[in-house]
Amino acid sequence: MQKRMIVALALLYVVVPVLLNGNNYILSLLVSSLIVAGMAVSWALLGNLGGMVSFGHAAFFGIGGYASALLVTKLGLPVMVAIPAGGVAAVLASVFMLPALRLSGPYFALAILAYAHIFKILATEFSSLTGGSAGLSSIPGLPDIFGFNLSSRLGAYFVVVSLVLVFCWVYGRIRRSDYGTALRAMHDSEDATRVVGVNSLMLKSWMLFVSAFMGGLIGAFNAHVINFLEPDYAFNSAWSVLPIVAAIFGGYRTVYGPAIGAVVIYLVDQLVFKEIMSTGHQLILGAVLAGMILFAPDGLMRLFKRKPREARNAHA
Amino acid sequence: MQELLLQALYSGVLVGGIYALIGLGLALAFGTMRVINLAHGELVLLAAYVAYTMESAYGLNPLLSLPVAAIVTAAASATVYFLVSRIRRNRELNSLMLTFALGVILTNGILLIWKSDIRSTSTSFMQDAVQFGSVYSMNSELGAFVVSVFVAIALWYWLSRSWYGRAVRAVSSNRDAAKLMGINPAKVEVVSFLVAGLLAAVAGTAIYSSGVISPPLGHALTVKAFIITVLAGVGSVPGVLLAALLLGVAEALTVTFFSSALQELSGMVLFLVVLFVLPNGLFGGQKRRG
Repeated sequence: MQKRMIVALALLYVVVPVLLNGNNYILSLLVSSLIVAGMAVSWALLGNLGGMVSFGHAAFFGIGGYASALLVTKLGLPVMVAIPAGGVAAVLASVFMLPALRLSGPYFALAILAYAHIFKILATEFSSLTGGSAGLSSIPGLPDIFGFNLSSRLGAYFVVVSLVLVFCWVYGRIRRSDYGTALRAMHDSEDATRVVGVNSLMLKSWMLFVSAFMGGLIGAFNAHVINFLEPDYAFNSAWSVLPIVAAIFGGYRTVYGPAIGAVVIYLVDQLVFKEIMSTGHQLILGAVLAGMILFAPDGLMRLFKRKPREARNAHA
Repeated sequence: MQELLLQALYSGVLVGGIYALIGLGLALAFGTMRVINLAHGELVLLAAYVAYTMESAYGLNPLLSLPVAAIVTAAASATVYFLVSRIRRNRELNSLMLTFALGVILTNGILLIWKSDIRSTSTSFMQDAVQFGSVYSMNSELGAFVVSVFVAIALWYWLSRSWYGRAVRAVSSNRDAAKLMGINPAKVEVVSFLVAGLLAAVAGTAIYSSGVISPPLGHALTVKAFIITVLAGVGSVPGVLLAALLLGVAEALTVTFFSSALQELSGMVLFLVVLFVLPNGLFGGQKRRG
């Protein structure tokens, strides 16, 4: 496991940059796919650990982006301070969502969707602050650090790949901790878990906050990479749909599944599906999601893992 | 001012009739199978596009395309049922994501076939104005409302009087007890999805006759249908009808007195307030969701 980890890190931090340096198109696709990966980890954390399926993660993405962009352009905060502040803003927004934690299943999913709509409408209507539907343009990019230009494609790649890895690490840590055990127990019976003294509402709130922070952080990072925001883009339902497809595709019960699923799905979508049909290529994403839920609800990572074990059993 | 208010109330009630049909379809399928069909609004939109095709290609009055639309949406609704019934594990969450995916497929399929242009009926009779006192509407809006009320009454009659209607209610209230009484739940579930498809066909044809359609509308209709079932609480036909009228009026008032950009906001806010303050819905009984 340790060895595999080192290989993966070497691949991500050395091989990929060396191979792709200069190929800006592929690099920017990779950065976008890793942004989706960050959203997928954020979604999976809430969906798997918290047991709450959200249809409105675009809310966190959009709020993080807007908060960070406004802090930089209106208050002159440094970009590297504003990006985490975007995450904090998403957490503050998620405080308004706390009543939704009482709900379960479809009621929670659609309550979050309602919040995403409401935030989108607010971003459109508060045009004095947000620029309305015209949006915010010329948002400053990432700064230079130690002479290395983070706003280059390669710089953005290093930042986002580190963010996604940290997200996965946090996700894994929470899952292995006592909180993770309690959250897993809550899936089987929330009432029984409460009886043994677990404050389930508190735990769910924390999962919502962590998930919101991740979503906001990634949204803020994205705003400084593309230097432009408008409500239709920042709160686009694609930011809610893609992470779900990615997480289900990769296996949202695993730690790295959502991130890997996101990179695969996004790159295949952009490089293959979009070439085949320029409009409506989300159709294939929908088909992938439906197919995964019907035939492999545990995701592709599980399929790969199961195969060797079955082969071994066959020999024995 | 007073005239504006009256007009807003009138328009809201008329559109609420159509919303009621969509909400009833969603509530029916939810009742028997405990599945929120997040592709239901897309089914309604599919019916609307069938009406558009029949009108633009064969010059048919939208009303005459209803049989074709009914066959298409009933078949699509049955397909949704068969796919959902294949889910074995964790049905509540997985069916939610499956029907969500089916909605994405339908929306993009519609986008591919009919393009993203906004369509509306070209039959002039539909758009002619009809006046009652100081309030106006189009012929089609009034007609759609009347038809919706009749269909809702027919549905209520079917649910309370016919054998299958009673079976649907029996399965909704207690699946195991219904089985013991010799009801095959799978068959009843198919029937409830077929009827939901028929309701969607009527609603879709009505929407096409009285308004404009475009691919993103399906998702918006799904959300409205869900809001209605939440407002209504545990499903009864009159409850859904009242909740739909309430949503229609709330939207119309928002558009008239604030801005049309806020139309969806009113429904969302109503939805959240009812969810948090009255978790059983406005007309709900004992059951709690949560």
